[in-house]
Amino acid sequence: MLEILPQLTLNSLIIGSMYALASAGLALNYGILRILNFAHGHLLMLGGYLFYTFFAVLNWSPLAALFATLGCSVVVALLTLGLFVRPFLRLHPLLPLVSTLALSIILESLVSIAWGVNVRALSLDSSMRSYELGTGNFAAYITTVQIVIIGSALILISAVAFFVHSTAFGRRVRALSNHGRAAQATGVNETVVLRTVFILATLITAFAGVLIGFETNLQPTMGSAYTVKAFAVLILGGMGNIWGAIAASYLLGFLENFSVGLDFGGYSLPAGYKDAFALIFILLILLFRPEGLLRKKNREV
Amino acid sequence: MGYITTLATLCMIQLILAQSLNLCFGLGGMLNLALLSSYAIGAYTVALLSTEHQIQWVPCILLSLITSGIVALLVGGIAARLRRDSFLIGTLAASSLVTALLINWKSLTRGVLGVPGIPRPTIFGRDLATDDLGFTLFCAFWTIIALAILLIVFRSSFGRQIRALAENPQLTESIGVNCSQARFLALFISSSMAGLAGALFAYFMRYIDPSSFGLNEIVTVLAGVILGRPGSYFGVIAATTFLVLLPEPLRFLDIPSSVLGPIRQLLYALIIYLVLLWKRERLFPIERQV
Repeated sequence: MLEILPQLTLNSLIIGSMYALASAGLALNYGILRILNFAHGHLLMLGGYLFYTFFAVLNWSPLAALFATLGCSVVVALLTLGLFVRPFLRLHPLLPLVSTLALSIILESLVSIAWGVNVRALSLDSSMRSYELGTGNFAAYITTVQIVIIGSALILISAVAFFVHSTAFGRRVRALSNHGRAAQATGVNETVVLRTVFILATLITAFAGVLIGFETNLQPTMGSAYTVKAFAVLILGGMGNIWGAIAASYLLGFLENFSVGLDFGGYSLPAGYKDAFALIFILLILLFRPEGLLRKKNREV
Repeated sequence: MGYITTLATLCMIQLILAQSLNLCFGLGGMLNLALLSSYAIGAYTVALLSTEHQIQWVPCILLSLITSGIVALLVGGIAARLRRDSFLIGTLAASSLVTALLINWKSLTRGVLGVPGIPRPTIFGRDLATDDLGFTLFCAFWTIIALAILLIVFRSSFGRQIRALAENPQLTESIGVNCSQARFLALFISSSMAGLAGALFAYFMRYIDPSSFGLNEIVTVLAGVILGRPGSYFGVIAATTFLVLLPEPLRFLDIPSSVLGPIRQLLYALIIYLVLLWKRERLFPIERQV
């Protein structure tokens, strides 16, 4: 019983980092800019598939493939913003919801047509090498990919949080989301802010897609699962607070892994229900605390 | 089944679904992504009751109305409290939860294997398993009932309440409408009707598995509502019929079925996007100024 604890903790840390990477983009777009991008998980999936094309189909080196993926993601971000978000922004609030829902289905069907519906796996010789941490009964194993996931989550997400909460540009972004007209009146350029944040969010999301492609698999239907997870994290951590979203990612990782990993008096939750856990969590929070767990109120004039 | 009867039956099932979505989304502004979960639960209710318990079709269909309405309890509980964004997220979570249960609750739903061998009813001595026309008429009977119920709802004072609610909840509440109750009832009616569509689908396919009820299947229904103008009863009926028939020529091209599904979804999603872009200023009710 006790000997699985180190591995369980490590796994939770890995899953938590994955969620942090997968939800950082949505935390920027929705939490800060209030743009509900329903196709968030699908952009993540697209990132994974782009990398797959450059890396496994065209046989480029991993680094070249990664930069090509990120380059394509900038284009994807600008297209998404220009075609699916901007035209609908100042109109009825239902419009962007439906347009990004349509985008998510467009992306999923395009990927299914182009790459097929079968599972694709990304792997490198060195990516699956595993290291042993600890000794004897308390040993835990970690692969290179998982180390990269944990490391890049820590670095990237902290950088994003620092960018949003502690820089002048971040202050402009938050000002725009708090009170658009007032911010514009003081000289904040809305177009520049929207573009920068949207591109940044899409880049992180595509990068997360690449790592998730190595760690799990790629499948055209994986998109909405990550959209749901990202929303769970956002609701749990409070909208507009990146640090809260990071904490919530790890909390969700731990809750999921420990709920199915431990047995409670001879009864343990089947592993298939691991994903359902986040969903029940969202529903309960939405039912009993619709404003979010840690949400601070916006200032109003 | 023959080609024409198959197409007619599929079209009728889509019509019920589209009109259910039109009630909660077109009139009420609630984009209920869990609508297809009600559809799935209606289908599974019929499938499991008629294969494992040999229950006749009348109680089967009535029970499927009730079980799928239960999803509305969950969604309605969220809806009564939430506005647009959070409502969408809540219903997305609810729909993913139902899909997860269909796949993982193997002792009840048989998981990804699905439920085969759903018997079709025998009515007036006609065995609908072999009688194509009889089965199509059976579906038509239920479709007319469902569409009539929805038309009554659309034209009633309750329908007007829902419409007013979408536009301005505060003002609607101020003239004495119980908003959360009205929202709840609208979701309940549309979920039950979706459950009825699911019941017909189960009898039609005679084999169901979780893959028929994915989140993306809502795209056909949503395209019908958007193209037919949200809130317009006959517009949605015309648009849905058109959209069901639209990809049929693709069937005669030499395209493998694994690509045909995504192409159809792509087509519908593009239609949604184009209509949305073209009509973005008039599609949803804007608050009227006095």
